[in-house]
Amino acid sequence: MSLKVTRRKFLQTASLAAASVPLAKVVSAENGFVRKPFTPPGSSAGTTTVTGGICEMCFWRCQLVGKVRDKKLVKLEGNPKSIDNGTAICARGNAGIKLLYDPDRLKYPMKNVGERGNPKWKRISWEEALDECAAKLKAVEEKYGPHGIAMFPHGASAKYPMHFFERAVGTHNVSEASFFQCRGIRDTAYVSTFNTAPGEHVDMANAKAILLIGCHFGENVHVSHLKRYLKGLENGAKLVVVDPRYSASAAKSDIWVQIKPGTDTAFLLAIMNYLIENNKYDKKFVAAHCDGFEEFQKGISHASLDWAAQICDIPASQIKEVAELLAANAPNVSIHPGRHVSWHGNDFQRLRAHACLTALLGAIGVKGGFVKPKGPKVKGISWAKGHHDGAHNLKEMADKYHFAPPGTPTELIRDACITGKPYPIKGCVIWGQNPMQTIPKPQKTVEALKQMDFVMCVDVMPTDITMYADILLPEASYLERYDYIKKGTQWNFADKHEQFISARMPLVEAMFERKDEVWITNELAKRMGHADKIPVNSLEEKVEKELASAGLSIAQLKKEDGIHIQPGKDPYGVSEDFEVLLYNEDIEDSGYPGVPTYIPVEEVPKGFARLVYGRSPVHTFNRSQNNVWLYNAMPVNPVWLNDESANKMGLKDGDEVSMVNSEGVKSTFTSVVKVTPGIRKDTVYMAHGYGSKNPMLTVGKGAGIDDQALITKIAIDPETGCSGMRNNFVKLVKSGKALDIPA
Amino acid sequence: MQYGMIIDLNRCVGCHACTIACKAEWEVPADKGRNWVHRLGPSNTPEGLASTYYPGLCNHCNEPSCVPACPADTIEKTFKDAKTGKTKTMEVAATYKDPFNGTVQIDKDRCLGCGACADACPYGARYVNTDLVNEEIGGEGVADKCSYCMPRVEQGLDPACVQTCLANARIFGDLDDPNSEVAKYVKKGAVGLTSAAVNIGPNSRYYGNKKDMHLLTSTSTPMEMPSASLRRSLMARMKPGFNKAKNLGFLGLAGAVLVKGLSEDDQD
Amino acid sequence: MDSENHSITLPEIYRFLAQSMHYPDPEWMNADFIQFLNAFLQELHWTDEADTLNTALKSSDNFLEDIQIEHTRLFINAVPHVAAPPYASVYFKGDGTLYGNIAEKTKQFYREKGFYLSKEDDLPDHIVYELEFLALLENTDKTGAQEFLEDLFRPWFTLFYSKVTKEARHPYYRVMMKLIDFFTREEL
Repeated sequence: MSLKVTRRKFLQTASLAAASVPLAKVVSAENGFVRKPFTPPGSSAGTTTVTGGICEMCFWRCQLVGKVRDKKLVKLEGNPKSIDNGTAICARGNAGIKLLYDPDRLKYPMKNVGERGNPKWKRISWEEALDECAAKLKAVEEKYGPHGIAMFPHGASAKYPMHFFERAVGTHNVSEASFFQCRGIRDTAYVSTFNTAPGEHVDMANAKAILLIGCHFGENVHVSHLKRYLKGLENGAKLVVVDPRYSASAAKSDIWVQIKPGTDTAFLLAIMNYLIENNKYDKKFVAAHCDGFEEFQKGISHASLDWAAQICDIPASQIKEVAELLAANAPNVSIHPGRHVSWHGNDFQRLRAHACLTALLGAIGVKGGFVKPKGPKVKGISWAKGHHDGAHNLKEMADKYHFAPPGTPTELIRDACITGKPYPIKGCVIWGQNPMQTIPKPQKTVEALKQMDFVMCVDVMPTDITMYADILLPEASYLERYDYIKKGTQWNFADKHEQFISARMPLVEAMFERKDEVWITNELAKRMGHADKIPVNSLEEKVEKELASAGLSIAQLKKEDGIHIQPGKDPYGVSEDFEVLLYNEDIEDSGYPGVPTYIPVEEVPKGFARLVYGRSPVHTFNRSQNNVWLYNAMPVNPVWLNDESANKMGLKDGDEVSMVNSEGVKSTFTSVVKVTPGIRKDTVYMAHGYGSKNPMLTVGKGAGIDDQALITKIAIDPETGCSGMRNNFVKLVKSGKALDIPA
Repeated sequence: MQYGMIIDLNRCVGCHACTIACKAEWEVPADKGRNWVHRLGPSNTPEGLASTYYPGLCNHCNEPSCVPACPADTIEKTFKDAKTGKTKTMEVAATYKDPFNGTVQIDKDRCLGCGACADACPYGARYVNTDLVNEEIGGEGVADKCSYCMPRVEQGLDPACVQTCLANARIFGDLDDPNSEVAKYVKKGAVGLTSAAVNIGPNSRYYGNKKDMHLLTSTSTPMEMPSASLRRSLMARMKPGFNKAKNLGFLGLAGAVLVKGLSEDDQD
Repeated sequence: MDSENHSITLPEIYRFLAQSMHYPDPEWMNADFIQFLNAFLQELHWTDEADTLNTALKSSDNFLEDIQIEHTRLFINAVPHVAAPPYASVYFKGDGTLYGNIAEKTKQFYREKGFYLSKEDDLPDHIVYELEFLALLENTDKTGAQEFLEDLFRPWFTLFYSKVTKEARHPYYRVMMKLIDFFTREEL
């Protein structure tokens, strides 16, 4: 590699320039080359099929095979052996290769020699990067205690480092976006009712009726989950969709309940009250499994159809129609628990109502009802739990959010950062999460980060948050590393009962200096004095040990085309001791309503509409914004606006607009108006995940409106501390003028 | 045999997996597509509020307007029936309809990249891939479109879009075989997007409930045949190195017509 | 070549140019290298370029770090964006992403000429590999080198050259681009 020419030798030549001139003769040599036109040969030409891929374009994690031609990953497909997604993968899954080969991806460790938020990056060695991260984090730990370090993890690769910081270092200040801004409330609400987190475990494929509250399948895509839904529809299930918008699911529904946002709990209470008053609930199930029926009945007795009709702004007759439909098809009904549920700050109560309705209909452990699959057991390997008490646990110190999901609510961490109370937080580790977009009020996040002594980020791609890192570390992507164990059962419980176990295996080697989470964490651990607690030496070893707990190995999985399939168990039935707490005394004792209760949300101020967001089938939040295929599939997120309102406002379909919220915050970028009768007048809607600010992204930057920036008012759910994000009100701005939205 | 595809709108959820799988399979430029998904509505229809999708692709028409539009030299090409082994020899330009499987294909090695075929398609199913310049011939690129994934089908695989469809909303098969699923869909009422002026026998067909079909057909049916850009095809014919002697006469003859067309073009 | 008085050959120049596009490491980006580069420019009578570099050198506290930051910003990851990734497939025939079909073709070309990448921690169409390959081929197969230049190197390099020239904030890479262009373009 090194040049064999020294300065001395060079100077011996009389004239380098003269010597170089004869090059002309060389370069004008005759060309005997025949050009052949290039025609894309297709993914099956000259490729080998590599098995063992597990997708992570979203967190459903479908099973993949890769078509590899000469070390290049040409195409991703569903693993034909899969009894989960089968050969199907979604748009994002298909676009995984554009993430793999994105020129903007992080390649080497980098040090910020500029300032946070306005970085100047310099490539450094792993040695230097790790030494610095460890020294700075150790310094924070020594000065402020382990709780002086906060961690924001997301995704499969963040679990191992999260456990390191939680268990070995010993900080409670870990906040997963998937819990606090997404599905955590659902899990704790169901745990407080059924004593189990529900997942999305409703047997839609075999249901006679399906109730979706806000779920918009088709716009929200998880392959095997949608297969269940579509199978149910194909089998004739009646579909009820509760949504202020004529969503992709509403378009397939039998009943579309055009509800006023935030009032779903009132709707559910009225249905339950109607079922009880009219003796249409499952008395046998209630008698056998439900506690606190009397308190419950009394607690919701005010919820008449008319009461709810007025609150929800829908006809009483429609609520009755839905109640009758559910009763008529009970117990084979899927009351979907939802997934992203942190909406209005009254969500714990709403999710409790979902669970209670499921129980009143007896829709548990029966065809079409709430049914947990009986999957295989595989033991996870991670850092051993340390002996940390509740001291410095912000949640306990605040004596708030008694039903919070695991970890510490984001708001408590940010408040502590900014105020230094009850104690300072001066070190920050961000792993695969982009709190600038996952956590509302990014201005607060910036403030929290700016006061840190040290910030490190680990990611696959640069995101808005990585601009605030002191050290930025490049991680191998899901296509280049071992890790996640994906296990489960066949998606349709009507089919033969089978279980599967698969492990993520690399489809191609990691390039540049990208490293996996175990390597990075272990190297940090060694430098921070925790070498003795390291549970595994490599990610491959971790997977090997986990598979061994199920009698498998990586070699065996490879032999079985990436997926091990074994006989399964009938998931139907309810154990005798299954208990449903319709009224929950613990909740009441903690100072919250023990019977599901509707808590009104703030009304939309005159001239504004409520900003509601949802999913786009081609994006997973902002994670996929820079993906050139996905970007081109839907370059902007149109703003849905009621057609009559648009008419009064003088807006036409396709007009370019920006937004301003009721607190005066303006969107950075613009989008186009979608004029439609399919949305309420008091609501505007757009897909989430657009408008990324990081200038490091070359494709996604500035495309569409970033809803997150407009979500400046967060309604904190009192039971859980989760962030309700649908309490913001906006006007549309056209040519610099903010337009009133007529009521 | 006539290959065809059915899109079942009752199943389609508009997820775009088909379009991205196609891009990966055939290295389609990011801003172009061999297929597409347009979201339609929510809009009022006589059947009520509706919202559905237009997952579009080449229709491999019975009377394709793109085939006669191709100005490339014709050559003799022998086609073979995959089933019977029967052969048939035809004079074809750089795009042709396969006499045995009914698909419309492009001979990329001989395509001039003039775009005349793309202009001639009322469905907008063709584009010119400028990454694929045919250097022996010159030109701006090479025409490209859905091939019904024939190279995959010949290996016994499903077309890439069909394979990846989580909803099983895309069904591929032989329309001439009355027992095939696609033929059964046609019997049930699956239709191509045709109008009085555009009736060239599309073999990609749609099936759905009344309101969705109303929304689809009222928004996405081409209402007139495109007028071919004569200037483009004239320019293509004048490409140096392409004027093989045997075609000079043809060129002169067509030239007169084309010059007329050119001046018409210039009027607007 | 018909000149008998030169002791630096074109292959050596290619290797020198390849070296110059590596991430600046004190192992090679040292006083010797700078002196050599300076002499090289002087011999070419590129005095303006030599002067600009010398000015930058003299006015800097840490010349090496300046170039490291510039290299990171231009070629790895940077703000306001990855200015000019040094890979053919970002510029030529594709979606602007890595490992496009031009990278595959490039790798095939190496193979046809009997060369393999010794380690695959970077992509075959990285400018350093392409220049190193040219150095090797120039020794054994001048016609092949010419084919490579015409079909695989110049079509993207010209775009890369103008991108770097436009984006560069430090003279070093502007000068190196000009040198690479000078030694790879069709007519000198």
